[in-house]
Amino acid sequence: MLTKLAMTGFQKRWRDYLVLFSGLIMSSAIFYMFEALATNKAFLKQNTSISMVGMIFQFGSVLLTIITLVYIGYANSFLLSMRKRDYGLFMLVGARKGKIGQLIWLETLLVGITATIIGIALGSLLTMGLSQVLINSLGLTLHHLAAWYFPAALTTLLLYVGLFIIAGFFNLIALTKTPALKLLHSNDQPNRPKLKPVRQLVEVIIGLLSISIGYWSMANLDKLQLAGIGIALVTIVLGTYLLFNAIFVWLIVLLKRLPFANRGLNGFTLSQLSFRIRNYTKILAIVAMLFALALGAITVGMGFHRQVPLMANGTSAYDMGIVNTTSQQQAQIKALKPTTETTYHFKIGKKAVYYRASEFNAQPFATMSPVGKTQLKFKLKRLDAQKLTKSYERYQFGQLQGSAQQQLATTMVSEQQYQSLTQPEQRLTVFVTKDVVANQAALKKLAASQQKRDHALQGQVLGGRYSGYQMVNGMYSGLEFMGFFLGIAFLAMLASCLMFKILSGAAADQHRYVMLAKIGTRTSELNNALRKEIAVLFILPGIVGVVHVLFGLKMFSFIMIGSPYTGIWLPFLIFAGLYLIYYLITVQIYRRIVLQ
Amino acid sequence: MSTTPIMTVTDLHKTYGKAGSKQYEALKGINFNVNAGEFVGIMGASGSGKTTLLNMLATLDQPTSGEVTINQQPITHLKGNRLADFRAKEIGFIFQDFNLLETMTAYENIALPLTLQNTAAKKIKPAVEAVASHLGIAEFLNNYPNELSGGQKQRVAAARALINEPAMLFGDEPTGALDSKSARELLDLFTTINREQAVSILLVTHDPFSASYCQRILFIKDGKIGQELNRADLSRQDFYQQILDTLGTFEQ
Repeated sequence: MLTKLAMTGFQKRWRDYLVLFSGLIMSSAIFYMFEALATNKAFLKQNTSISMVGMIFQFGSVLLTIITLVYIGYANSFLLSMRKRDYGLFMLVGARKGKIGQLIWLETLLVGITATIIGIALGSLLTMGLSQVLINSLGLTLHHLAAWYFPAALTTLLLYVGLFIIAGFFNLIALTKTPALKLLHSNDQPNRPKLKPVRQLVEVIIGLLSISIGYWSMANLDKLQLAGIGIALVTIVLGTYLLFNAIFVWLIVLLKRLPFANRGLNGFTLSQLSFRIRNYTKILAIVAMLFALALGAITVGMGFHRQVPLMANGTSAYDMGIVNTTSQQQAQIKALKPTTETTYHFKIGKKAVYYRASEFNAQPFATMSPVGKTQLKFKLKRLDAQKLTKSYERYQFGQLQGSAQQQLATTMVSEQQYQSLTQPEQRLTVFVTKDVVANQAALKKLAASQQKRDHALQGQVLGGRYSGYQMVNGMYSGLEFMGFFLGIAFLAMLASCLMFKILSGAAADQHRYVMLAKIGTRTSELNNALRKEIAVLFILPGIVGVVHVLFGLKMFSFIMIGSPYTGIWLPFLIFAGLYLIYYLITVQIYRRIVLQ
Repeated sequence: MSTTPIMTVTDLHKTYGKAGSKQYEALKGINFNVNAGEFVGIMGASGSGKTTLLNMLATLDQPTSGEVTINQQPITHLKGNRLADFRAKEIGFIFQDFNLLETMTAYENIALPLTLQNTAAKKIKPAVEAVASHLGIAEFLNNYPNELSGGQKQRVAAARALINEPAMLFGDEPTGALDSKSARELLDLFTTINREQAVSILLVTHDPFSASYCQRILFIKDGKIGQELNRADLSRQDFYQQILDTLGTFEQ
């Protein structure tokens, strides 16, 4: 009978359960997505040349687990607040506490496990979809990526079920220890925003201090190594929370004193915010962290994406070299509108390839040579015959030849010597286009046609920027993919966290909006009020998150060409767009709940 | 007492349920007027239709047919912003469960109707303080509703309803959640406001004691006005007795 009653409660509140379920499903799906990369050792090994990435994933796992913990805490209190009245009613009609405890426990576990299983299924679908989209749109090459990865599913399931068992016990105690009447009338009590100047000053100081330590350790990652990431994570999370705690209360008390609070529903909005101030500081600190992680990941991913052609350009000054071009190949090269196209003549002897020194003196061969400590910047050098023979970068010329020539030594000979050689004369055409990435497709065709004539001309043997691009792209694809993938996953997590928190308060807000309508508030004003309230909750962590990212990007300066800050407006803009969409969706759902 | 009606109600009907399905007629043609400055009570048992009637009069619900005017304005077809503005300017509400915003202090609750109309901040403060001292809640202005007693809460609600100087004040069982002392104080307050500020009041109640403060009482039964009592020159105690007698026979 009680089970039946519980089910009717379930049907009546399907809308609330929908919010709960979708929140939990999203959360477990994202956790799975993350774990699918983090626990896949083969994938991590194959796709990164940087050993630290594996450890970064471990830290990420820990962080995500903590966030999940808080998230499930919220979900659980939402579930509890939804069921309190019903269970209070059951007790009032004489249901036994033991029986009710059983029901609560079962319900919590049922909700949790169902959501987790659906979440894992959704997570593997999302992993598949997202990786396909990323691979296609970024032109990545990845190995060992599996959308369905059993250890990841197991980790997710174990963590979530474990947490829900704990949550179930918590609910059991919370509900059965509370008298029935209190359950029936459990209303939110407002938090009176109090100014405690000394305490808040201390909070601000400690907060700023720990954030500075975090920023410092990120900037000095080369000295601190892995410990730096750990320190940064702990100090920045702590600092963000303390700052929000201190400043948020202050800000609201301050704003309430301004004439601004006396206009329209502004005062109401401020009161709404201060009403749940304690709850919100926690979630805002988490959201700010997630925001920073997501934006940081996407920015770094894009940084690597930008990096690839830069690195490729450093491998050679020419796109490709072709021996004895056919007329068709000649036409193909011409269609690429090369900025430089040079043909050198040579004859092949038994031990060496003989080139005409005069040709190199008339048309010097260009090489790229690395400069600076990091070896990440390159200088273009033009070398005549003599310099080229002595140069360390002469391999860049060697690689542009055919496979047979690459086995032999390159020798520069005078005109006289060259004419005395009896072997047939052959041609080597080298050329460079404006942009190797833009001309990728045409270059691929050209390479293929040459590989048909010279079968050994595979991979790096092909030489030039085109093969350099292939190589670097393969190297960085993994990092790029992880950046974008994690960025999107974190964004989804943060948005569902924030959305869930806001929406879980919506039911309690409903009667306030009804009341405002009753005393003559225009619907447009109500809309504005709720838009503002939610905007504040989205913007505040956004600002803090952006600051974190701006400092955090320094971490990557030692593995990137140029500054990691160049062109960051693009990922920021994309991110802002996605964030805005989440904001609009939240407003829409919230409005549907409170204004109906 | 003036004789110009502040509110007219003409042939008001309300039917619940869609045509074709099972219908229930809650109001079956109600006609009456409230004169400016009058204190009118509407009495009836549970299910008699008195709350339905109040919801129609206070623009919270729309009648199936019939017309209501307040201050010469027809209100039954008001919608959107015009409806909101009408509620904000012309009428005040006091509900049984106070309907205060628990997220805001008493001061902020009372000031809300003024801030909604973007009244200058300079004017808001004196207005709130004036109405608060009049209602005897000046010292509680910085408290949140959950820090106030039922009677204090209801006075804050009354202050919020009165701050806009509405043409009409509606009370839906305003003493329903109060103890007898607080109830008596609130009703005395209504009487004073009614006399001194000439605010017209319409009170819906099933409680004879509350009703005895009114000048005129309309008894509603099964969706119709069954009987009307005028206090005239009777003392409140005598009127109370008369109400009890009427109820004794009316509900039979």
